[in-house]
Formats: sequence, C-alpha cells, structure tokens
Amino acid sequence: MLGLLAASMPEALSAWPDPRLTLTSQLEDLALVLPWLQALADRYALTASTRFAIQLCLEEALSNIVRHGYRGRANQSITVECAPSPAGELVFTIEDHAPPFDPLAPSAADAAPTPQSIDELQPGGQGIRLMRRFSSRIAWEPTPSGNRLTLAFPLAR
Amino acid sequence: MQISTEELPGGVTRVRLDGRMDIAGAQSVDLKMNIVAGSAHRLLIDLEKVEFLGSMGLRSIVIPARAVHSRGGKVVLFAPTPMVESVLKTSGIDALLPVHHSLDAAIAALE
Repeated sequence: MLGLLAASMPEALSAWPDPRLTLTSQLEDLALVLPWLQALADRYALTASTRFAIQLCLEEALSNIVRHGYRGRANQSITVECAPSPAGELVFTIEDHAPPFDPLAPSAADAAPTPQSIDELQPGGQGIRLMRRFSSRIAWEPTPSGNRLTLAFPLAR
Repeated sequence: MQISTEELPGGVTRVRLDGRMDIAGAQSVDLKMNIVAGSAHRLLIDLEKVEFLGSMGLRSIVIPARAVHSRGGKVVLFAPTPMVESVLKTSGIDALLPVHHSLDAAIAALE
C-alpha cells in the first residue's frame, strides 16, 4: 500500500532540499556541499554549465573562508542559503564569523596577477578570478559578526 | 579520482586523470602526479575524463608542470571539456601550458 502511495505521489514525497546548509570550518565539511548542490540543481533543472559554475564558485568561496577567513580554526560556523530571485537568478548567500575580508577589493582581486611564464605560475590565488568569471553577480558586505558573500547564477532553463 | 599513466613513443608520458578535480580529488592525485613529474620530460596531462576542475585541481596541475619545466621538460594539456577549458583560460594557465584537442598535435608540441 505504501509502495502504491509512493508511486502515485512522487512530488509530495520528494521534498525540496533544505535551502540552508550549515557547515563547520574544516575542508572535510565541504564534501557535504556537493550532494546538497546536486539536489538543488535537480530541483531547479539547472544546465550542466550552471551546475559546474555553482560548484566551482562555492568550492572557491568556502575553501577561502576555511583556509584564510578562519585561518584553520576548527568548529567555526559557515552557513549557505540558496533562494531564487525575482530577477531570474539562483542566489547563494554565504555567511561566516571570520574577520572582515572583502574579496572584491582591488588588493584582493589583484592578488594573483596573470602569470607571464611557467615559473611565475602560482599554485593558488585563482579563486577570486574564477568566482568573478563563473558567477553572474558577486557581492560582499560586512555583517556585525563577519562576512556575507552573495553569488548569483542564471536560472534560465 | 582515478589516475593512470602510459608511456607513449617518443618518450612521452601520458597521465590520464578521471573524475572530479575538486579539493578531495586533487588531494587524492597529488602524490602520484608529483611522482610522475619527478621523472617525466615530456608530460601529456590527459583531462578528457575530468568533469570538474577547481583551483585546488589547478594546483595539482601547476606544481608538477613547474617541476617538469624546471628540468627542461615540456608539458601539454589534452582534451579538456569546454567548462574545464574555461577554468584553464580564466586562470591564464592555458597561455603557458598549451591545450590541445588532437592527440597528434599534443604529442608534436612536446617534441
């Protein structure tokens, strides 16, 4: 009987993913992000390129917070919220309680200049450039206790 | 992440990467990549099966490439998907590590 009900009510029984994900400040926790994003991407029927872009930007943003914002301090919280906007975007809002850091400030954005030779290739410092390129909108603002980073992506199907 | 290597004619070492080059994926191939880079002089990094590349994955390519280059060797990148290639272009790495979609052209670039 339950099986019949499940077959006839797939939408009712297949809930939307929680729009909020709470992580702690360790790189291992970032493994929780991918299945959450995949569930959201399925629900919003996102294209493969938009899925890629969201995964990329969130990995860059969250790993920056863990490594640079919290400087390796464990058990600090990071929250990620996902919501559609009236402008037809899927907007991710990432909040932390790390010291204020504006990733869009010129000094931060220029942290890794385009390398001119293979010897100048720096193994890191690409995250901000990638987030700018792969999101449709990026914004930062300080909060009373930390930072709020907003990343938007097109919802067009 | 899967990684395998193959020796091609002409002293070319082909390293095939397969999977997601995210933080966990990059960590899982770093050691093998650095071992391969420690002896290869003509290194072809095959990205055809790489479905995701983030900055930690870029790091797993850049560090071995620098090691090969520092010994006078050459490195090329082969067959990235359009999104992976877009990451390479955004980072500027494609200007320094040539990207080829033809295997013959990739091998020729290593000569």
